[in-house]
Amino acid sequence: MKLPGFPTTLAPPGLRRLGLADIAVLCLLGGVIATVISFAREFEAPFSQAVRIDLSPAALPRYTLYSLSRGVFALVISYLFALGFGWTAAKSRAAERLLLPLLDILQSIPVLGFLPGLVLGLMSLFPTRNVGLELAAILMIFTAQAWNLAMSFYNSLKGLPDPLRDACKVAGWPPRRTFWQLEVPAAAQGLVWNGMLSMAGGWFFLMVNEAFRLGDRDYRLPGIGSYMSVALDQGNVPAMALAVLAMVVMIVCVDQVLWRPLVVWVEKFRLDDTAGAPAPSSWVLEFLRRARLPRRAAVLQRRAYRSARRAARSIEAPFKSVGPVILRGPLIAFEHAIARKLGAGLAVAAIAAAAVAGAWRLWLLIAQLGLADWGQLLVAALLTFARVMSAVLLSTIWTVPAGVIIGRSPRLARALQPVIQVVASFPAPMLFPIVILLFERIGVGLGLGAVALMVLSGQWYILFNVISAVANIPEQLKEATTLFRLPWLARWRSLYLPAAFPALVTGWVTAAGGAWNGSIVAEYIEAGGTLRQTQGLGSLISEATAHANFPLLAGGIALMSLIVVGWNRMVWRPLLQWAQNRFSLET
Amino acid sequence: MTNTVLLEAQHVSQRFKLPNGQNLEALRDVSLAVSEHEVVALVGPSGCGKSTLLRLFAGLARPADGTVLYRGRRLDGVLGAAAMVFQSFALLPWLTVTENVAMGLEARGVFGPARRDAVARAVNLVGLDGFEQAYPKELSGGMKQRVGFARALAVAPEILLMDEPFGALDPLTAENLRSQVVDLWRDPATGVNTLVIVTHSVEEAVFLAGRIVVFGSNPGHVREELVNSLPYPRIERSPDFEQMVDRLHAILTATLLPEAAPAAPQRLVPFPRVHVSEATGLLDHLLTRPDGKGPVFELAEDLGVDYDRMSAVVRAAEQLGWVTTPGEIVQLTQGGREVMAMDDAARKDASRARLAKQPLFARLVAMLKENEGSVEDEEVLADLTIYFPFIPAESLFATLIEWGRYAELLDHNAGAGRITLLGWESTAEMRTE
Repeated sequence: MKLPGFPTTLAPPGLRRLGLADIAVLCLLGGVIATVISFAREFEAPFSQAVRIDLSPAALPRYTLYSLSRGVFALVISYLFALGFGWTAAKSRAAERLLLPLLDILQSIPVLGFLPGLVLGLMSLFPTRNVGLELAAILMIFTAQAWNLAMSFYNSLKGLPDPLRDACKVAGWPPRRTFWQLEVPAAAQGLVWNGMLSMAGGWFFLMVNEAFRLGDRDYRLPGIGSYMSVALDQGNVPAMALAVLAMVVMIVCVDQVLWRPLVVWVEKFRLDDTAGAPAPSSWVLEFLRRARLPRRAAVLQRRAYRSARRAARSIEAPFKSVGPVILRGPLIAFEHAIARKLGAGLAVAAIAAAAVAGAWRLWLLIAQLGLADWGQLLVAALLTFARVMSAVLLSTIWTVPAGVIIGRSPRLARALQPVIQVVASFPAPMLFPIVILLFERIGVGLGLGAVALMVLSGQWYILFNVISAVANIPEQLKEATTLFRLPWLARWRSLYLPAAFPALVTGWVTAAGGAWNGSIVAEYIEAGGTLRQTQGLGSLISEATAHANFPLLAGGIALMSLIVVGWNRMVWRPLLQWAQNRFSLET
Repeated sequence: MTNTVLLEAQHVSQRFKLPNGQNLEALRDVSLAVSEHEVVALVGPSGCGKSTLLRLFAGLARPADGTVLYRGRRLDGVLGAAAMVFQSFALLPWLTVTENVAMGLEARGVFGPARRDAVARAVNLVGLDGFEQAYPKELSGGMKQRVGFARALAVAPEILLMDEPFGALDPLTAENLRSQVVDLWRDPATGVNTLVIVTHSVEEAVFLAGRIVVFGSNPGHVREELVNSLPYPRIERSPDFEQMVDRLHAILTATLLPEAAPAAPQRLVPFPRVHVSEATGLLDHLLTRPDGKGPVFELAEDLGVDYDRMSAVVRAAEQLGWVTTPGEIVQLTQGGREVMAMDDAARKDASRARLAKQPLFARLVAMLKENEGSVEDEEVLADLTIYFPFIPAESLFATLIEWGRYAELLDHNAGAGRITLLGWESTAEMRTE
């Protein structure tokens, strides 16, 4: 018995009519295509040193999209780099020995100092079009995004359980298939979470990347960063406020439309099937899952595949029991020990030669510095060092209590997490001029004010780390302190602070890095048409850039890199190891 | 019955480098041949290299010395004629059951409808019908391992290699799957005619295998082979079966608890990596038994630990003089009874006296006395590495510290990385008097 009016042939459920979600998907696709096209047009625009930035509110959405496109483009390159770098480091022990320290250094040196060289180089490659400048900006964003992604992929490759690898080998999977179906999925979670951090980190130097002066030349690209810097130059307060607002809107949108859905989706790729934290949710992904268009496309694709297979069946060999085959020839690429040693030797020689050549070039530049310059550099380094340490200390003083309080209460953590995430993703340098103008009202100079700016650029790392460490303290330990009626002070001293300490040290490492980087823009600020500057390594680097004083720039960058890497090796790393050993929650 | 030799290891050795730089010799000069229609079980204590040999057979690794042959041909890649089942299942969590089962088919040239047929057949063989679209995380352990078997069977392998396939399953599920494996092997439809299984369970080996190879450790080597000609299907409670289990027990005991060679009392023996509470737990259990004795395998079963662990505990208790081991019987000694009757403090005193006589502890104490009662961890670790190159020095060190602390013989400061001898000052004073 059939009800009248119902079709007898059943299409798969949900495939019949297009819905609201589909219209949204179509619009979204259209928007992406339009943005890409207009961005490409901008790319091809004839070169002009300083694009005129239109401060009218109507122009702001376009500028925001330009900046966003640069960030996304850089992120795509960062992902490709991370996959290549991580894979090479994980597969070859020789490469590992070289690449890991390299990554460690790249992660901690102030990349902003390379901007002038990069711009000049790329400009000479594309002298007539904007491509060179655009590429330089994208590459600068890339240098702020790539390293932690590469590290994350490398770590997940190294942590992959042996039996899974063996299973793929026994199945006879070629390396390419193992890469896409085992190694990348297993790393997906780390790659997405780190991608979120990278995206936020990429915005940090947005203003400098899009608008900077090199010698007597003014370089500017259309974008939200240059919009902000022009607004600052003209002292246009409404435009500044609009730029900040646009930045916040962009960060929230990217979080909701890109990252949340990705975070939910990669839950699928968890390796451990322990049901830990509650599954995250994303309204965008729910919405997209309701859309029928992608599903229809998938069905069509499956149908096409099936008919293609049917057509191909006639020329395929029939299934038979597998005979005596060896699935893959040699187990390792270099069969002979001699060949392998020779290859490794050549690689080492090439790298050593490149290193010597690089050091020589650097030496040629630095050798132009006189004794007075070196004295100036050292004093500046000491001053900035003191500021960085004060910034770390100040950040610690407020973030540790706040982090413990937030981390202790799951409700509070849940409520504040998105807010903190947005605030932390906001590029602090955009606020620097505003903060400095406020400080001047109350009579604080840049010498001290710079410390506050460095706090702005580093504090979130500490807060995040403390919150997550405290939130991960086992419930039973907290209950035990309640049961034994420990007063709150004892509770903090015996449980919360020790449990948070390793994470606190990790936060310090990143915060200090952020503060060093921040010093370049915090000690040398142009706002309201006037330049403010205080003695320090950061301002020295900025000044050298502005005056195209390359020997001083190279000396400053080299000194800062040396201090940061040396401090990481001699102080942070031993401290971190000790803390992780001593205050590990695992018994 | 002369069957063709399928797989053969000839004088195979394998070495690994541990993270601390120590070299571990997993296998030394092992030769073993597996013929068509055979079921071979590899048994032995953990760290005897039986899993390493299995991986060599699969072509997943290459031996440091010696050769592995397949049908007389040198194996220099992953063996397509073999499939493998893993203890940890090794399923890809983001692939469905169907996709996991199909993993090995493409490389073996099976596509399209043939591929679908192969998957359906394998899924059906292990009784997974209806679960085709499920993800591994939705399945129980037993079901996951069925997927593992289906994946192996889908390629219709000539040889099925299994690395403790039932080790991660509960006993009921394991028993059920075990008898299915025998059915699969006897069923000509599967194409599988040869099985090699690595196992920890004596009953499992006797139940499945026609030939049981017993491995010894440090470094891994073949101790003995036992032919098991009981007819299939085997019944676990039958007298013949139990007799075979007892024979294997006897061989394993000789491997695990060798009769002490009294000739060299000064020879350093590593102290088994056993916790204090495990040794006292064994004594507690022996006290509840008539005459305070029992066969080691029965003890293992009663206490719910595998025989490998049990024998380590027994060896520790034996070194302390708390038990003796005539054959495979563990017998509580008078000393052991006395220790159990003592209160905690007295027990510690007695343990201290015993430990001080154990050659390894005696050496450590002598070392401490030479250095004014305190040495650095690194020094002791270096010493252990020299004397016992095949044992991970860190874990042996941790055992020494635990027992030394328990007996209040020595103390350890992890922060400073030093060991101190307790009561050193007082003994020093006594000597000067």
